[in-house]
Amino acid sequence: MKIKLAYSLSLAASAFLFISSVTCIIFQPDLTYISILWGATLAGSTLLIALSALTKRQLNLASKTGVVLALDLFFILAIFLLIFTGTISPKFEIRTPLGIGATFGYRLILSALVLAASIVATKDTINLFYDSSSKSREALVFLTIRLTAVFSVLILGGILFIIIYKGIWALSWEFLTEPPRKLGTEGGISTAIIGSLWMVLGAMIFSAPLGIGAAIYLIEYSKNLWLNRLITIAVSCINGVPSVIFGLFGVAFLINFFGISLLSGSIVLGLINIPIVILTTQEALKSVPNSLREGSMALGATKWQTIKKVVLPSSMPGILTGLIISVAKASGETAPIMWTAVTFTATPVQMIYGVIPNVFQPVNNLDYHLLNLIYFLGAWDVEKNAWGTALVLVGLVLFTNMLAIVVRNYYRKKISW
Amino acid sequence: MELPKPKSMGLQRRYGEKIVESVLFISAITSIIIMLMIFYFLFQEGVKAFAKVGIINLIMGQMWHPQSDIYGMMPLIINSLLITSMALVINICIGFPLAVYLSELAGPREKDFLKPAIELLAGVPSIVYGFLGVIILVKYLQESFDMLTGRSLIAGSILLGIMFIPSMTTICEDALRSVPSEFKQGSIALGANKWQTIRHITIPAASSGITAAVLLNVGQIMGETMAVLLVVGNVPSIPTPFFNIFETGATFTSVIAGEMGEVSRGSLHFQALFAAGLILLLAVTILNVVADQIRARIRKKFGGY
Repeated sequence: MKIKLAYSLSLAASAFLFISSVTCIIFQPDLTYISILWGATLAGSTLLIALSALTKRQLNLASKTGVVLALDLFFILAIFLLIFTGTISPKFEIRTPLGIGATFGYRLILSALVLAASIVATKDTINLFYDSSSKSREALVFLTIRLTAVFSVLILGGILFIIIYKGIWALSWEFLTEPPRKLGTEGGISTAIIGSLWMVLGAMIFSAPLGIGAAIYLIEYSKNLWLNRLITIAVSCINGVPSVIFGLFGVAFLINFFGISLLSGSIVLGLINIPIVILTTQEALKSVPNSLREGSMALGATKWQTIKKVVLPSSMPGILTGLIISVAKASGETAPIMWTAVTFTATPVQMIYGVIPNVFQPVNNLDYHLLNLIYFLGAWDVEKNAWGTALVLVGLVLFTNMLAIVVRNYYRKKISW
Repeated sequence: MELPKPKSMGLQRRYGEKIVESVLFISAITSIIIMLMIFYFLFQEGVKAFAKVGIINLIMGQMWHPQSDIYGMMPLIINSLLITSMALVINICIGFPLAVYLSELAGPREKDFLKPAIELLAGVPSIVYGFLGVIILVKYLQESFDMLTGRSLIAGSILLGIMFIPSMTTICEDALRSVPSEFKQGSIALGANKWQTIRHITIPAASSGITAAVLLNVGQIMGETMAVLLVVGNVPSIPTPFFNIFETGATFTSVIAGEMGEVSRGSLHFQALFAAGLILLLAVTILNVVADQIRARIRKKFGGY
């Protein structure tokens, strides 16, 4: 019973050291008080581990685990002594070691050392608890994996949190409905929002028919395995082509015909989207059972009638999900449209007959607007508007993605063959 | 009784079928045409730079200095390799354990929450990551390492490493899940514990899928533009010493994105940027084709996932 208490105390001490040192690495506060606490905790956990090792007779220098344990204890004790004797004082720093352009200050070094000590202490405690068996290894690895999972959730959640927390203050009705004034320091982002929407719509008009058509051909018609393989490779290559390359392609090819315009941007974004539409539509078509096709054919329908009336309607949810995902992807791209479609000072989209936009005019776009605000950050007071733009952009993309997930889950429950 | 003649099916109907099929065929080969056109146009402009500067000079040149019309890609190559490898290490160190957690340890409730959340985060636009990098990461690095400027290779690699956690996790988890459960049950029945099973059965069986995930991620990290452009400082120079990751740098993508806006068409600078794009495109395409082959092989081996 007493031994169990020692283990839990030791674990608690290492947990405290771990959490506090990570926090200190991130926020870099003044370490005068906490370093005393760290010293005491380090000494305490050294004592606890040494005592429990002695009671369990594990501190046996003849075995490998005993040597490792002794070295670990020595390491923790050394860090304790460094703090206690004041070797690592606020004046301590390592300036540009090996010619590297960085200085490692007192706060960073101390926190990092304590972090290392806490990891070592945790390892030893768990090893002692399970007597260094395969079970202790399992516990250690699973602890690491769980910690990593928590860490990544914290990072990714933190990203969302900070965008919402900072951006929410910039949002207002005026921000969403007015065009930017004075290089984005005042006014809103209405031109950017509308430009983004039209451009994404244009991209879908290009990519949806081409992508769905290609997928139908690949799944329903093509008998030529060689051609199928070639198209599949081409699709996965286009999927991997960096977006900036599409921008170069637009500059070298599309600009010659359409100039810097909504049309060029839509075509480039459409090309980027084609692989996603093809891949998701293929998956959706594959999931339609053959019995449906055979039933329709048996009733005398032609191949195209079968596809139009039977296969497409039953694979619609999957296709729809793919289209929504590609909308989200298209609205998050900056590099491909930078030189093909957008200008920062674009006027609101002009309409022909009030319905169709003039496709030969440059427009503004949320991504490009944000990029320009980032460039202006040092010079003008645009930070608030930049956060607002980032929130609108992320909100738009995440909302679209969430819509895709909801559609998929809804129909997955509903359709059963 | 007389059967209706086949002709009554109608010429219109038969030709309609043919027309539909040919339209679909054209849309199917569009992707091949697009790929060829991308290669053609990049090659057309890029090859002029190779002709003017010389292939070896352009690739091995130690300096990229547009002001004096000197173009050598060695700084870009070294910087890209440094950033990609470091970002990949960060990416694997976080993304892979997360994938193991999702496929082996997480209960259904955690899975239901985490998987959509990760999918959602994969959609956050890169410009937003770049913005956060400038506002938070660059400032943090500058203050805590007392650097001249926080814009550095390490800022780029941290940002890219974090950015591609979702894609790494998703593909790795697919690979881990595609391992047949008989393998794992057999191992457990022989008395191995859960970690021994994962370590000696699941991960080796999924290794080709994990390799494919890593290759795809290398391609994505190399091709990422906006986030890198904003945080690396965009000064193409070979770091001294070569492992000095706290120096400003420039990758292929950041040089193209940063300089393309202000060059005049047809100048040597314009063509050199296309040459850089061509090299990037070749590297990424090779990675993608290899990864694709690996994934196709797994599908054959385990019957798809």
